[in-house]
Amino acid sequence: MRRGWLRAALPLTLAIAIAACGGTPGEDNPNTDENSDTSSAEVKTDGFESLGDVTLKVVSSEGSGGPRDAIKELTKQFEAKYPNVTVDVQFRDFASWIKQARLVAAGDDPPDVFAGNQGYQLDGELVKAGLILPLDKYADAYGWTDSFTPETLQQFMWSEDGSTFGEGNLYGVAQTGQSVGVFANKEKLDAAGVDPANLKTFDDFQDALATLRDSLPADEPVIALGNKDQYGAIHLWGGIQGAYTPAQDVRDWIFHKEGATFDTPGNLESLQVLKQWADDGYLGQGDSFNSRNDSDAAIAFGKGEGALMIGGNWNAATARDGLGENAIFFDMPPGESGDAVAIGSASVPIHISSKSKQPDLAAAYIDFITGPDASQALVDTAQVPAATDATAEPTDGLGKGVKAGWDLLVEDGGLTLYPDWSSPTMLTTMGQTFQEMLAGRIPPEEVVSKTQEDWEKYNAQLSEG
Amino acid sequence: MTAPSSAGVGAPDPSVGAARADGRAIAERRVRDRAPGEPRRVAYLYLLPALLFYVIFAFGPLLYTAWLSFFDWNGLTVGEWAGLDNYREVLSDESIRSSFVHSLVLIFFYAIVPVLLGLVLASVIAHARVRGVTAFRAILFLPQTIATVVVAIAWTWIYAPNGPLNEALDAVGLDSVSRGWLGDFTWALPALGLVGTWVMFGLAIVLFLAGIQKIPVTLYEAARVDGAGRFREFLAVTLPGLRGELAVALTITTIFALRTFDLIYVSTSGGPGTSTTVPSFLVYQNAFANGRVGLAACIAVVLTALIFVVAFAITKLVDRDPMQ
Repeated sequence: MRRGWLRAALPLTLAIAIAACGGTPGEDNPNTDENSDTSSAEVKTDGFESLGDVTLKVVSSEGSGGPRDAIKELTKQFEAKYPNVTVDVQFRDFASWIKQARLVAAGDDPPDVFAGNQGYQLDGELVKAGLILPLDKYADAYGWTDSFTPETLQQFMWSEDGSTFGEGNLYGVAQTGQSVGVFANKEKLDAAGVDPANLKTFDDFQDALATLRDSLPADEPVIALGNKDQYGAIHLWGGIQGAYTPAQDVRDWIFHKEGATFDTPGNLESLQVLKQWADDGYLGQGDSFNSRNDSDAAIAFGKGEGALMIGGNWNAATARDGLGENAIFFDMPPGESGDAVAIGSASVPIHISSKSKQPDLAAAYIDFITGPDASQALVDTAQVPAATDATAEPTDGLGKGVKAGWDLLVEDGGLTLYPDWSSPTMLTTMGQTFQEMLAGRIPPEEVVSKTQEDWEKYNAQLSEG
Repeated sequence: MTAPSSAGVGAPDPSVGAARADGRAIAERRVRDRAPGEPRRVAYLYLLPALLFYVIFAFGPLLYTAWLSFFDWNGLTVGEWAGLDNYREVLSDESIRSSFVHSLVLIFFYAIVPVLLGLVLASVIAHARVRGVTAFRAILFLPQTIATVVVAIAWTWIYAPNGPLNEALDAVGLDSVSRGWLGDFTWALPALGLVGTWVMFGLAIVLFLAGIQKIPVTLYEAARVDGAGRFREFLAVTLPGLRGELAVALTITTIFALRTFDLIYVSTSGGPGTSTTVPSFLVYQNAFANGRVGLAACIAVVLTALIFVVAFAITKLVDRDPMQ
């Protein structure tokens, strides 16, 4: 018997010894990039005809609706401008792409241009691993620093080791301004006697919710929500949070500024309000909204479910397709501060792979789909160009509402960015605890403590270096 | 190549025939040296290619996963030695522990229920003359042939708040029962479990039907003569005769329950809350979404060990020859 054990132990020891030859994981990945030269001297911004037949590989995370149509249209225009260039765009669903992106970018043959996501979960890791190029020289060449506001560019800035977010090199630019606001079905508001022009404060809005609740059939939610992928409820809550917490406090927390904390009376109160809305039946049944995701909810809203939808303006084209002129959009009415505050930011950053053989061409493509000339295609799909020197203006009611909402948030400095940027695990943590809270399984206090706990854990890692 | 005289394990030595003309004496001496059919060392040479593949593609990655489980690694930058920290976290973290509990619930639905149902139905079908048994069997087996992702999408649709299941419930006046099954904290896991029952039930019944046909009819006749009823007959003849099939069915279904991922990923992504997380989903979530490859590897190692233990226990418990 003893002998038997010995015979088993020997190969096992040997096996562990062999496995140990694998060495420390990741040690042979380079954290340096040869292209980090920031002088604008040799940047090529035109004359790509001379390259001959080339293919630019692109991955976009705008997997649905208006944003996808805009990218398709702009890509077609870019190919028409340079007939020798083929742009191979692949569209991925955002939620799954942010999980694949790191591996794809680390592979031997990554796409030249691909979408990232602001924050520590994805961009921070990409910068840390040296997988994306700093774009400062292109920013100089194309004048991105004039086109985009400092607040927009800040979201794409990192120190070279990926530990400091919000300052340092520029690693990407974005197409559009995305903010969370209130979509409303005008017909249903009229039927309940609610005039959106009278919703001046957050309290007005809450009163309107009660009125709408009485006016709608009992089994129809007032607010169409989709929370299967666990971010719909976070975005909805952002609209409430803005009434209780200054935007700057939220941003400081996301950027891990010293002394920032999630454990504030304002955050707790806004979570309690969200829970109250659920209890008052404004959101419908939990098992229903947990069964569908954000874009499903937008489609349902377009088909006439609910009087309101509190969601990202990227759903505008979907709402317009369904409700036509009846779809309107406005910012969540402000709390006591009087400032418009909402979750929002520039859309996801578009990066250039540090392994790209055509970085200049890649930059030209990025400039083409984000710059002033791109604005018509963006406006046509009810989006707001992130570039401030955009030329096109929306002509339809919903498009005007979306643009006015964004402009007001920019003016008030009220874009809080997204809370899940604050740590690699925050989306999971908040997503799960929000669902638990809405189902009444944990109190709002526990959402606060678990969120802060996750933040502190990552904060400690950041300060260790 | 070696000479044809070096034959494989247990095969009749071809050298006896091949060398008949010139080397009969040598061949006879070989046979005298070793009992016929006894394995020879050279057999390992034949095993080598397969073994090499096994080591490179199965055993190697497994070992490397075990090695990674001792690191704190985000998958991109240099990892940091973490010792047993990950294992400590797996044992102490409540949400990880509860994912293993969810697996146990799934084992009930994926393994126990289909096997019990399969036993009962197989013993009934086998002795009753039912027309169209073959067609029935084929239909029951069908779910096995469908990709799990397709199964997941189909069932997500069936379980949806305004899907066919709820419409059927409403139609018979059970409005109070209908709900978004996969969005409900209490019902999401059992609902997924029933999908597993649906998938696995056909496999169990086909296995058992084949097994029953192999049991000598004389045993049933003897039981009848001894005055055994249907139930005693089942206990005394059918069940012992199906030991082998029972072990196979339980092993396959249990492993399927423990490693289930695609169904969860497509239908609920572990939600609502954490009510349908299972270890294999946490492996994915930690490795790709949360950038904690070390922890993911650690969960994978624990899961592998668990599957190994469970499979081993099933074979030990069920697959014993009753005659011994």
